[in-house]
Amino acid sequence: MVTELADDMIVCRCEEVTVGEIKNAIHEGARDIVGVKRRTRAGMGLCQGRTCEKLVQQLLVQELHIPPNEAGSSSARPPVRPVTFGELAKGEVI
Amino acid sequence: MQKEYDVIVIGAGAIGTSVAYHLAKAGYSTAILERGDIASGSSSHCDAVALICDKLPGIDTKMGQASIDYFAELAAEFEYDFEYVPKGCLYVCETQTEFDAAADYCEKQNKDGYPLRMVDREELCEMEPHIAKDLAGALYTPESGAIAVSPYKLCFAFIHEGRKHGLECYTYCDITKINLNEKTNAVESVETNYGTLKTKRIVNCAGAWAPFVGKLTGLTIPIEPRKGTNLVSEQTERLCNHKILEYGYMLSKFDSIHFKRNVSPLVEEQNIAFNLEYTPSNNLLVGGNRLFRDYDIRSEIETIKAISERALRFFPELADIKCIRAYSGVRPFVIDHLPIVSDVDSIPGYYIAAGHEGDGICFSPITGRFMEQLISNKPTDFDISKLDFSRFSK
Repeated sequence: MVTELADDMIVCRCEEVTVGEIKNAIHEGARDIVGVKRRTRAGMGLCQGRTCEKLVQQLLVQELHIPPNEAGSSSARPPVRPVTFGELAKGEVI
Repeated sequence: MQKEYDVIVIGAGAIGTSVAYHLAKAGYSTAILERGDIASGSSSHCDAVALICDKLPGIDTKMGQASIDYFAELAAEFEYDFEYVPKGCLYVCETQTEFDAAADYCEKQNKDGYPLRMVDREELCEMEPHIAKDLAGALYTPESGAIAVSPYKLCFAFIHEGRKHGLECYTYCDITKINLNEKTNAVESVETNYGTLKTKRIVNCAGAWAPFVGKLTGLTIPIEPRKGTNLVSEQTERLCNHKILEYGYMLSKFDSIHFKRNVSPLVEEQNIAFNLEYTPSNNLLVGGNRLFRDYDIRSEIETIKAISERALRFFPELADIKCIRAYSGVRPFVIDHLPIVSDVDSIPGYYIAAGHEGDGICFSPITGRFMEQLISNKPTDFDISKLDFSRFSK
């Protein structure tokens, strides 16, 4: 699935992060998904990287010539989907 | 050819990057060594404020104010934006007992010249229209003593600016050995996966992991990981105008402060202290607590429940706002709540800047400056003998 992506293409829709910004972050020293996230906010939005993580991984693989597993993944953190603080406080969704 | 540096800094969090920046700027050839990526430990698992009002009167507050003043200078000077925002802070008091305790603290800080003041319920509700209407009041700290920064961007900023002065950065660096001179016990070199790096000085800035670096040369550094958790909201309207903490925060931070809050057993047991801030990305950060869980930073369900429960007490409208993430990290805890910023008598050339507990971001700029002054044998801006490592051998 390695195709050349245009620099202005949006990868993280929640935080509006482009291919070019992610490539920059990789050239600045990001080596994995989390490193890209801290430098660009890709994966920090409402969907928590569910949509963009695979694309970020693809860019890391492409730019750093590493196997996909070395690109890592975002830390697994609750909640699995957004829930209100009201629900969390009542323990209804836990 | 073997690489040689005047100083090697170990750890690229808020403390290490600041120390490395200050040394490089002062003209030392400096390398910073980091086990993972820049800001991959506590400095990316924390909140984003620097305050004077969460410090004990005395050197704790003095360092806080000096560092906050220094943040403004750095923000103006640095090319890299670390999201410096003057904020102001409200320590909200649930009861009259808390209000009186806060007023007493306020008076002590006023005597030392800090412009904190008490606000009553009416003024509090004007300053924070979404806050619960039945609180006793609050302790207000103006913007001069309460700011926000992005903690991991701060680390990136120090590295970015340090590189302009020749700072070299080794990330994903494993340190296998620190070699000392057989006769003098002085620092000679550091062995890593990048080869052996020669140096006469190292600064251990590994925060909660400083004891592991200490062990490489037989040093016992009394720092323990103290866990905290924050919840992140979806992007939302501005629910609060200031950094908000409950006065009970002091209770969870300092064991010397006692009063009983009217909270559920879960909140009590989880050592929850409500705090809230609105970030430049329009998310809310909702915290927090302090627990000893070794180095386990998995987010605990009971903690998430307890933080949410406590937060609703102060901001009822949070009930309909969504949480998108719960993250946890560890603070480098020292028993007397003061960091170690010091040389080490037994090992010439060995320095420590670690153990800032929850104040690492706040104390980052001033710690970097102090360490440069210590290494250059200059007098420090003010007396920091209380931060000396030798206090643990007395």
